Amino acid sequence: MVREVLQVAVVARMSAGSVPLLQLPAPHPPSRLAEPGQFSGIESTFLALLIFVSAGLFLWRFGPILCTILRSKKAPSFSLSPLGGRVWNFFWEVLCQGKVIRQRPLPGLAHAFVFWGFLAFAVVSLNHLATGFSLGFFPPTSIVGRFYFVFAAVWALLVAISIAGLFVRRFFVRPVWLGEKLSYESGFIALLIFLLMVTYLGAFFVADGSTAAKALWWVHTLSLLVFLPLIPHTKHLHLVLSPVTVFLKNDGFSKIPSLQGDEDFGLVAGKDLTQIISLQTYSCVECGRCTEHCPAANTGKVLNPKEIVLGLRTYLNEFGPASDTALLTESRIASPDNPPAKYLSMKAAFECTTCGSCEYQCPVGIQHLPVIIGLRRGATNTGAWEDSYGTKLFLALEKNGNALGMSSTERDKFVQKQGFPIFDGSQEYCLWLGCMGGYDPKGREIIADFARVMRYLGTSFGVLKKEKCTGDPARRLGNDLVFQTLAESGLKTFEMAKVQKIVAICPHCVRTIATDWREFGVAPEIEHHSEFMARHKDRLPKQTGDSIVYHDPCYLGRYRDIYEEPRAVVAQAGSLVEAPRSHERSFCCGAGGGLVFLGEEQGERVSHVRAEELVSTGADIVGTACPFCNTMFRDAMSAVSEAPPKLLDIAQLTARALPASESQGPQPF
Amino acid sequence: MKIVVAIKQVPERDAPVHIAAEGRWIDEGDLNYTINEPDAYALEEALHLKEKVGSGEVIVVCAGPERVQSTLREALAKGADRAIHIEADDLGSRDTLGIAQILAEAIKTESPDLVLTGLQSDDLGLGQTGVVLAELIGVPHATIILQVEPSGDGIKVKRELEDGWFQHVEMPLPALLTIQSGGNKLRYATLMGIKKAKTKELKTVAAAASSGAPSITLERVYLPEKQKKTEMLTGSPAEVAAKIVEKLKFEVRVL
Amino acid sequence: MSGVLVVMEQRGGKWNRMSFEALAAGQQLAAKLGVECSAAVMGGPGVDALATKLTSKKLAKAYTVQHDLLMDYTADGYIAALQQLIEHAGPDYILFPHTYQVRDFAPALATRFKQVLISDVIAIGHDSVGSAGPIFVRQLFQGRLNGNYRHAASGPCFVSVQAGTFRGDAVEEGTASAESFSPQLTPDQLRSKPGEPFREAAQTVDLSSAPVIVSVGRGIGEQENLGIVEELAQALGAELAASRPICDNGWLPMERQVGSSGQTVAPKLYLAVGISGAIQHLVGMKGSKSILAINKDKNAPIFEVADYGVVGDLFEIVPELTKAIQAAKA
Repeated sequence: MVREVLQVAVVARMSAGSVPLLQLPAPHPPSRLAEPGQFSGIESTFLALLIFVSAGLFLWRFGPILCTILRSKKAPSFSLSPLGGRVWNFFWEVLCQGKVIRQRPLPGLAHAFVFWGFLAFAVVSLNHLATGFSLGFFPPTSIVGRFYFVFAAVWALLVAISIAGLFVRRFFVRPVWLGEKLSYESGFIALLIFLLMVTYLGAFFVADGSTAAKALWWVHTLSLLVFLPLIPHTKHLHLVLSPVTVFLKNDGFSKIPSLQGDEDFGLVAGKDLTQIISLQTYSCVECGRCTEHCPAANTGKVLNPKEIVLGLRTYLNEFGPASDTALLTESRIASPDNPPAKYLSMKAAFECTTCGSCEYQCPVGIQHLPVIIGLRRGATNTGAWEDSYGTKLFLALEKNGNALGMSSTERDKFVQKQGFPIFDGSQEYCLWLGCMGGYDPKGREIIADFARVMRYLGTSFGVLKKEKCTGDPARRLGNDLVFQTLAESGLKTFEMAKVQKIVAICPHCVRTIATDWREFGVAPEIEHHSEFMARHKDRLPKQTGDSIVYHDPCYLGRYRDIYEEPRAVVAQAGSLVEAPRSHERSFCCGAGGGLVFLGEEQGERVSHVRAEELVSTGADIVGTACPFCNTMFRDAMSAVSEAPPKLLDIAQLTARALPASESQGPQPF
Repeated sequence: MKIVVAIKQVPERDAPVHIAAEGRWIDEGDLNYTINEPDAYALEEALHLKEKVGSGEVIVVCAGPERVQSTLREALAKGADRAIHIEADDLGSRDTLGIAQILAEAIKTESPDLVLTGLQSDDLGLGQTGVVLAELIGVPHATIILQVEPSGDGIKVKRELEDGWFQHVEMPLPALLTIQSGGNKLRYATLMGIKKAKTKELKTVAAAASSGAPSITLERVYLPEKQKKTEMLTGSPAEVAAKIVEKLKFEVRVL
Repeated sequence: MSGVLVVMEQRGGKWNRMSFEALAAGQQLAAKLGVECSAAVMGGPGVDALATKLTSKKLAKAYTVQHDLLMDYTADGYIAALQQLIEHAGPDYILFPHTYQVRDFAPALATRFKQVLISDVIAIGHDSVGSAGPIFVRQLFQGRLNGNYRHAASGPCFVSVQAGTFRGDAVEEGTASAESFSPQLTPDQLRSKPGEPFREAAQTVDLSSAPVIVSVGRGIGEQENLGIVEELAQALGAELAASRPICDNGWLPMERQVGSSGQTVAPKLYLAVGISGAIQHLVGMKGSKSILAINKDKNAPIFEVADYGVVGDLFEIVPELTKAIQAAKA
């Protein structure tokens, strides 16, 4: 918030500072663009030479990058359809700059002005160069020209102001996300753009054919021709690549491709990187939005999603797309010979909570999750990842079929105690318990309360006789063997039980069954209990009094696009309070990506940061919609607060107001 | 170093056990089977040892019906080089000596440097097969082993004694060791391992007919009287303390 | 002789107390069968000093099996010596305490007689008819089932008895005639070389091998209150452990944390004080043989996994318990 206010101030100050420059004493009214006059043969030849050198340098530097991208492995599952979605992404994210503006409004708008200005300038620049060969096709004196050049001038003004603002932001405000090192290249390019605009605008204030007009023309041309070859090796490569990247990115959030053949284990080495990944890698504009929102990067972990992308780029530049050199190294110890961006570290790859805010935020279409999970697959599927907690988890999943390593008889006992009917095909819903609902004391309370809500609403349900983990932690940690085994076993269980509709309290289960299982078959329709309850919200008791701050679980929000349904349930149970970071910008609880099972984290705990934020809203209750978030906050809230607010799942928020007769059901224990 | 690991396939640890109609064994119909846990540690130690020595071969041997092949394949996926399945559908009617005899026969033909097996099984828990096997193939043995290292022509092992004591034992090769759980960290089966295992040899040999009647027989199985149930102790603090001491003395036996 | 022979265990001139439990079992079995019971102790020079303890028991014979090569335990030495003793004495039943040492040699000894040891027996029963011989009860599937075993072959029957099944103080006093037995042993028979027993240097806290753990949770309230739990742990000779919030607060070091982000433990006794039992904690200690929980909330999930539960104020119960344990140990 403070940062944004600062940015406003800076941009305002900058634009104020630009005014005197634009109010140079005018020899004649700035009604139209001055023409540079005649060009001699020598001048034209010199210009042709400059263009040749500039374009040559551009191709010389861009060619190898294009080759690297094209020589990368073809993505086997890539398909252009659905084309509609791609066109929409292109329209919204590229042409409208929707994502850029929405996620960082002020700098986003400044960027959009520069982008739209460039578009407006396309014809102007072409005509500009053509004039140098006396081939100008768009005379400023023509009626259309008169109008268009003034139109372009308005854009030039906006671009100049915006680029100056962005310059100040980068070099004086210096948001931490842009990296510690100042990029002088960026400064130089900003200067070039500024120069382009100023020289263009200046031409409105000089006489046709004057020396001043000619001088402005040449400065403008030189700026343009210097700019061009700088593009490929700076982040400005995104000018060329990102529109393509946005158009070609894989559909679906955190889409994990299926492995192909007997030699594919995920991203082990350069040869496993697909064209799409290479393209995305070179498109990175180093804006740091991914890092800004990353729970790991914000709590002192090694992981920094931007470094992962830049690490891949460095790898590709160094080893090429056919290399067998491993992508991940054991650890990344920064030294002059081993700069942080150069190597991808195993440690970093396994610090990701897969919250997805990086992928969600990225304005140039980079999909971080398939990369990070791909790297984990490469390490886990080949046994290169050695971690005692991870091994314990995988063995528990292999042996016990649940992530907690509990005996399945514990679940049977709970089901019996609760008097849950076994699903036999006669009930409408199959109530999926999940590991947390089946084994965790708190998760059991949530399931029990949700069952009460279903009974209250008169919806029939049954639970499966046997249930195994969906394989979510194995999938996110890259263990395809365990994941596939569990997914296939789960699909078979549903088929045998003839389940049509599933409802679950855990967003991780919902996502994994609904999306990740598709690789192995068709699962029945599944929904999260927030969706179910929201549909029936008018029949749920209305409560007043408590203020409730709702925490968006990553796997419900960003992964499933469900934001309003849980809020509708919360609003029915009290007055809804929003956390500072909410909806698609919600901050992770720290549990996802299998991390809840991987032991103590380094640095600050993600759960503490988020718990503090939720507690600071002053709400009476923290409302959750995911049993993992719930378990993370249980410890975290009492650690960050003397008198923490209550912590309740949306099912519990609803169930507590149900009539007494309904609440006399069996206790969870 | 050529190492044979004798493994057993047992019902999964937390599988619900139901007693079969005639009351002599459990109902096997609905069971899932897996590697006996101490045997998993024996395999781990063998793989570890092979990695440490830098060369050698790890051969897994398992006796039982066809279903044991899945356990052997898993062992191949974890890194064993070859597998031998001793096909026998009548293990239930053979006692420890009878089973050790068919294992010994298969192992002798391999003439390994070292034979490893888990210290006991999760199902019967007799804890003898390894020691009997050593006697039958005529090699020295040591039991409840946590660590093995090559030492000269032989090996030096770390053996667990009671109450937190340990002992090193040196012995010549060939030898047999029974491995204690927890000495190493188990590895998880990887996708790559499973794919590689497809190309590894799994040989099936028929078990010799049992040589005679077993010397011990299991006549009946039944649920123990005391099921695990939380026993609540009540009374004044002093009374509760006295009750706890009583439990710790005679039931938990830590006093 | 026919009858029962109990093989006692000693190390360095000290009895393994489980030997007397096996001795009690042997006396009772012999009484039931109406046969004689004898006992044997093995060792190097000087082991006969121990044999005097046996001659005061109600036994037919007290054998002292003595040889230089039996000074330190080796499976080869013990098997050879005992084989000779059994051939000499000819018992029908040979009983052992089910110790680590017995597990190391007794199965091979049985093999020498083409027999199979019935190991880790928890009870010895008898049919009303009694003609088919005694029933030996063993635990199967980690104690989830019991199984009745019977010795079916001719020849001696080898049995080892689980610790605590019989009471050592139930051994009947009486007299026994001492008999020395000198086995034929040569050094080349002993193929392995045992080293001296040692304990691991205790540098770090290793909860995973601790036989008794006293663990404290949130219910303790404040760091100053930890003292009463520390005293309890000391009285029990237990390691002190904690749930995550205690370590988070820095009241105890992180390496004492039990649970999913700490250590996984499986002691004989896990005494949980003021721990409600969050899943993260339960997964770290559910493998304990016995769990005793003290908590003021009767609905605390820890009682789900506990064998013994006490609902009440830990500040009243723990000091009383410490006193009672100290008294019991004194």
